Amino acid sequence: MYRLPWFAWFAAAAWILLTGCGRVPTEGNSATADDAKSDTNTLTKVSLMLNWYPEAEHGGYYAALVHGYFEEAGLDVKIIPGGPNAPVVQQAARGAVDFGVTNADRIVLARAQDAKIKALLAPLANSPRCLLVHADSGIEKFEQLQNVTMMLSREHAWAQFLIKKLPLDGVKIVPNSASLAPFLADPRAAKQGYIISEPFVAKKAGADVRSLLVADFGFNPYTSVLMTSDQTIEQRPQLVRKVIDASRRGWEKYLADPTETNRRIHELNPEMGLEILDFGVRAMKEHCIEPDAATDSFGRMTSERWHLLVSQLEELAMLDPGAVDAAALYLAE
Amino acid sequence: MKSVREIAPVVLPPVALFLLVVLAWQLVVRFGHIESYLLPSPLAVARAAWTKRTELCGALTLTAAGALCGFAASLIVGTLIAIAFSFSRIIKASCYPYAVFLQTVPIVAIAPLIVVWFDYGFQSVALIAFIISLFPIITNATTGLTNVDRDLVDLFELHNANRWQVLFKLRLPSAVPYLVTGARISSGMAVIGAIVGEFFTGYGATRFGLGYLIMQATNRMKTDELFAAVIASTALGMAVFTVVNIVGATVLSRWYHA
Repeated sequence: MYRLPWFAWFAAAAWILLTGCGRVPTEGNSATADDAKSDTNTLTKVSLMLNWYPEAEHGGYYAALVHGYFEEAGLDVKIIPGGPNAPVVQQAARGAVDFGVTNADRIVLARAQDAKIKALLAPLANSPRCLLVHADSGIEKFEQLQNVTMMLSREHAWAQFLIKKLPLDGVKIVPNSASLAPFLADPRAAKQGYIISEPFVAKKAGADVRSLLVADFGFNPYTSVLMTSDQTIEQRPQLVRKVIDASRRGWEKYLADPTETNRRIHELNPEMGLEILDFGVRAMKEHCIEPDAATDSFGRMTSERWHLLVSQLEELAMLDPGAVDAAALYLAE
Repeated sequence: MKSVREIAPVVLPPVALFLLVVLAWQLVVRFGHIESYLLPSPLAVARAAWTKRTELCGALTLTAAGALCGFAASLIVGTLIAIAFSFSRIIKASCYPYAVFLQTVPIVAIAPLIVVWFDYGFQSVALIAFIISLFPIITNATTGLTNVDRDLVDLFELHNANRWQVLFKLRLPSAVPYLVTGARISSGMAVIGAIVGEFFTGYGATRFGLGYLIMQATNRMKTDELFAAVIASTALGMAVFTVVNIVGATVLSRWYHA
């Protein structure tokens, strides 16, 4: 009876060893073959894993698929939807998927744990992360969040940032739930969300809400970031280049004309209606996309932003000082 | 007092296996070049446990309180329900299917509702631990209370014993081994229930249990801290399990044999 857990540990260790170590070299070997194949007019198979179910925040990647930009670049891209706690970063770092989509803070935290991945393209320059409050609560900025129940995933970096920077007088913090019901029932509640979807859902449910953007309060990691492993960048630079360019084209198309792509996203994730996806694109353009981004600089990242994020995570004690080199976090174009 | 010769065969094999596995694990991580986000080395886990000891102990205490409250409640309520089942065939026939329902209900699906009904905090954690650990007590205690030697029941009736005398002098004592088995299963489930409960309800802004530490470590991909928190929760489950065994082997077995 006491032995079972240790067998379990051992089995887990063996499993990770076999899958973890066995996989990477194989992928590496097939990599050169894949790159060669694309020259002879066959499409290179590429996997791209999302951090959530297909939504507007992934629109550009789907647009590149729907409008054939990946195919034009000689790529046969398979987009794998994620979900809660989807191990995107781990899978990309060990080469189980070729590319992944995640948020910038996750890339920093992953690198601190020896997961060698780099950001390639940051379509959402500003984070859509927000807190919803009821419009009649009188709360218009974060500093006024007093005597409220805050529903948030407090283990996340942005939540830690709020907890550290706000006075939180009379604030009760409770775990976030997928349902809006507890928020709607409590006029003094504040709930986490994405500006591109939750305000729409709340309005549909008859609530008059106000959204406070965490980015405006000072914590603003790049969002829906395209990333891959250091190994892929080293061994398949041309492939990486193609995926970046096609994704960039996809995003530009999506922001200009999302109709066809949204129809595909709705097919893949019926919970996302066409109306909310449409709202999502508009909200994204208003809050998350740099308005003056020139065509070839769309999604480009700056060293200042990555340095700021690293220093903020260090300040939150989520990262040991000096554990991560900001320059290693992204691929400078 | 048992002699060393008696204890050694029980204690040595698992300890030896433990040391072997830990050694192999350390070597595999060290020489297999396994990155820490995939698997931490046992040394890293020990180091994480030591640096996080204050948080771990605080969290362990809170989770233990939630799990034990739920476990104690399921022992009492489960036994009472089983007694009601043993008294009346009709009660048992009409209620038992719902007890089975309890076992199959996906707790993660109803946990958010429990939070809405009973508010965030300790009471909801204990309630989820209770729900998840109740069924093994009911089913085992019911089996124990009803699987009594027919001849003994006849003997009691021959001496005009009333149903309470039959219960306390015959049925309950003979149900003890079954009840202990049920409690063993429930002890681990109560700990899991408390941790699942913590995922959904938490304890407010400043206090946290092992469930939060597990989520925090997962979010930061700190597998060493994750393993430390998981080992703390298994240690908690094993501690409750051991207490159940000791109580079963000493206090209750005396009643059983009496």
